[in-house]
Parts: sequence; C-alpha cells; structure tokens
Amino acid sequence: MTHPQDLSLRDQAAGVASGELDPGEVLAATLARIEERDGQLRSVPSVFPEESQRMLAEAPRGPLHGVPIAVKDMFRLPWRGPRDGTPREQLPPGESAAYHRLKDAGAVVVGVTNMHFWGAGSTGHVSAYGPVGNPWDPSRCGGGSSGGSAAAVGARLVAGAVGVDGGGSIRLPAAYCGITGLKCTFGVVPLQGYTHEFASMDAAGPMCRDAADARLLGETLAGRQLPVSDESALRVGIVREPFWTDLDPEVERACEEALDNTGWTLQEVELDGAEHAQIAAVARLTLEALHTIDDEHLADADPIMRALVKYERLLPAELLVRADLIRAKLRRALAGLFQRCDVIAWPTVPAPAPPIEAPVVELPSGHYPADAANVRQSGFGNLAGIPGINVPVGLHSAGVPIGLQLQAGWGDEAVLLDAAEHVERVTERAYVDALPPLAGTPA
Amino acid sequence: MDSFELYVRNGLELRGIDVDDKDIAVMRAADAVYGPAIRSLMEADLGSAAPEIPLDPGSPPREAGES
Repeated sequence: MTHPQDLSLRDQAAGVASGELDPGEVLAATLARIEERDGQLRSVPSVFPEESQRMLAEAPRGPLHGVPIAVKDMFRLPWRGPRDGTPREQLPPGESAAYHRLKDAGAVVVGVTNMHFWGAGSTGHVSAYGPVGNPWDPSRCGGGSSGGSAAAVGARLVAGAVGVDGGGSIRLPAAYCGITGLKCTFGVVPLQGYTHEFASMDAAGPMCRDAADARLLGETLAGRQLPVSDESALRVGIVREPFWTDLDPEVERACEEALDNTGWTLQEVELDGAEHAQIAAVARLTLEALHTIDDEHLADADPIMRALVKYERLLPAELLVRADLIRAKLRRALAGLFQRCDVIAWPTVPAPAPPIEAPVVELPSGHYPADAANVRQSGFGNLAGIPGINVPVGLHSAGVPIGLQLQAGWGDEAVLLDAAEHVERVTERAYVDALPPLAGTPA
Repeated sequence: MDSFELYVRNGLELRGIDVDDKDIAVMRAADAVYGPAIRSLMEADLGSAAPEIPLDPGSPPREAGES
C-alpha cells in the first residue's frame, strides 16, 4: 500500500474526502515518517501528536480536510509561540491568520519547521535546532530561511508546508531542495500573528512538490481561488543584467533549456535600477528588523550574527533612503514592463546548495557567501512586492536540484502556477517527480 | 588601526556597544562582500528618483495605475 506521504497533497485531500483514506491513519503515518526520516535533516524540530489529533477531531470538511501540513516556526499557534530559529519563543502562543486559514480548510498542523536563525539567512545552517539538511544530500544546505519547510516537502515528510519569504526565503530553499515554492504578492496572505509582522518585504506562501499542490495550499492561504488557465503562449521578459550573469554554468544551461522548451515568446528586457536591487534589498531587510533586536535577542545569537548586527547598526540612514528610492524606481519600471511581458524569468539561485560545513558558492568570478549570491536573485521580488515561484528544472552534477524563478505582476499568482505547470509538462515532470535518495522508492 | 576599524570602534563606542577583535574580523569580511555595493548605491545619482508615497508593496505604484 502506498504511504500517504508518497501521494500528492491533492491526492491526500481527495482520498480523505472520498473515504479512501482514513485521516487518522494519514496523520499517524505522517508522524511516523517524520520520526523515521528526519534525523539527518532536522527539518521538523517539533511535532504535535496531541494537538494535531485535536485539530483533526474538530476539522471542518474543507478543501484540506484531514491533510497534515507543517508550518514555518514564525506563526503563532494556540499551543506554541513561534521561535524564529532561536531557542526561545518570540511571541506568545495564539492564533495567527495562517493558522486560522489552515484550520478553516480542515488541515491539520502536524509540526513546525526549522529555519535560519531570525530568518536571517538563505542557507539554513544556523539554527538553534541544528542546520537544515538537504534531502538530496544531507551534508548540503537545505536552504533558508524556510529551509525546514523545503526539506520536509522534498523528503516526503509532508506534501505541503507554509513558508515566508522576506528576501527569497521560500524560493531559495525550494530551489535547493527541488520543490515548488510560491511567494505570494505582499499582503495576499495575512501576516497577523507572524514574528516579523512589521516587515515591508515579507510574504507567505505554499511550499509543495508541484504547482497543482501549491495551487491547492495557496488557495487556502490566500483565501481565494487561483483559477487554472492555459499559459502555453506567455510573453517572458529576460533581464540579463544582473540576473543572468555570473552563474554556475550548469544552472544557467538548465534554466535556459527549460525556457527554450516552453514555446513561450522570450524577449530581452532591461530594468532601470536593477544593478542596485541586491544591496537595496539587503538594506531594507536588515535595517527594518534592527529595532526588534535587543540585548536578550543578541545573547541568543552566535558570535558571527552578533557581529553582523553591530555592522548593520553602523550603516548610514541615507543608505535606507537610497534603497527606498531604488525600490520606487524598480517598481515603476516593473509596472511598465508588465504591460509588455506576462512574466519575467531568471535562475532562482546562481549555484546549487553548498555544503553545510562551508556555505560558500563557486561562481565564474570567484567564491562568495551563499547569502550574498542568493539575495541578488531573489531580493528584487521582495522590494517590488510581486509574486514569484521556483520551478525545479534540473539536477546538478553535484547531486542537488536546479530551479528556475518566474515572477509576475502584483496579484498574478495564478499566472505563475499555470506557467509552472506548463514547465512541468515540457520537462515531462522529470524534476517535480524526482525522488531524492533519502526518500528512496515509494513503498 | 585602519580607517575601517577606527570608524567601527568609535561608532560603536559612541552608541555604548562593545566591540572586540573577532567582531572587527567578521565586520571586515561583511564589508568586503557588501561594501562595494553599498558605496556604489551611496554614490549613485538618484537626484531624479522620486520616492513612492505612500508605498503599498502589494499593488503597482499608484501613479502607474492612474496613468
């Protein structure tokens, strides 16, 4: 018999709805699989056997009735305050908006997922719960900051997880772990009860194996339909500078091949201000969070993070003003661009997941900390507020996945999901259905 | 002590924040990665760039919608 977590999210939901699957057995099998398979990944540091049973007992017959979902440890749950990758609660227990949406859909919160400390990194190798491993190679980074959500989905521990993306934190780990991660438009998923509710860059979204599952979970989180359309004739903007430069050659080739095979109309475009997007995103991300970091928070951090906070405290105020001017410039340029293009595309990460021991990536121009290289590809979308999705499109010779990033205009999540499904079709689902060695062969 | 270290030590001292040699080493590494981009943005000619007020990241810029 097929293990329920070897089924898609939609098949789990359909199986429970039709009576073919017993939701109590699905939950028990999911908890057992996490126990059995998560040791090397550290992706789900806390599971909730009692609370999830209680949720199941009270679950309405919604679209996710009886389906186990894992949630990034940044949302208040009635029985647990979120910890943000740190050793202690950052907010008291309570009912976050994301929890409400899941509960109202009949889903069962089975556990919280590991994440980069404070959400302040794209590798996931710094966390009070240990580094997040990659299901394709546990000695490599699972990514961050929603690395636990990506690794748990990639390893078939759960078919759906909730992530949040403030500088790439859904898309980047999704690329590292070979899953589909959708950062929704800013504000589409309400962030009440979220640890960084103050942030102007952060947007939540679904992390699943493929676009159809992401649509199902995304509709729940967004609280609206994301209808299917035919997206076989899209106009795609290719912004060469800086997003297609200085890439790992295998990453570049896989992304180009995937786009070439779509049949979409590809057009080279330029975006005024894009050359400053990376540092503008880093400035916004770090400086708008600084006021929340007090001595107690700093005491929990490792010496490197403490030193980085000190560095950030010396950045000039003018830098933030200039970052916001770049943000305004980019958003205006994008508004014009989306009159001519339906989506824009570039590699989600410039190089594949690096080793946990040395989270550094090798690019043609040299070696760089993965965070700096990654945010160049992703921070742009957070500045703009637009939705973005990672679509798995290859497997690197290092043995870990490659991802293509598609971004669309404000509110166009459905376009991205349609586009991702089109990419899945032209790649014959080779990468969304690929099983990491840790997941073995489905029983 | 070079100008970077002087700036860091004096700046943090003014704010009453301790700093040690390890902090300086980490900050120097961070500055090697991000410093050039920071300086480039600080020197960029943004005289003609208009701020977006109010900013709603969840929607297109208001002027784009109105045009």
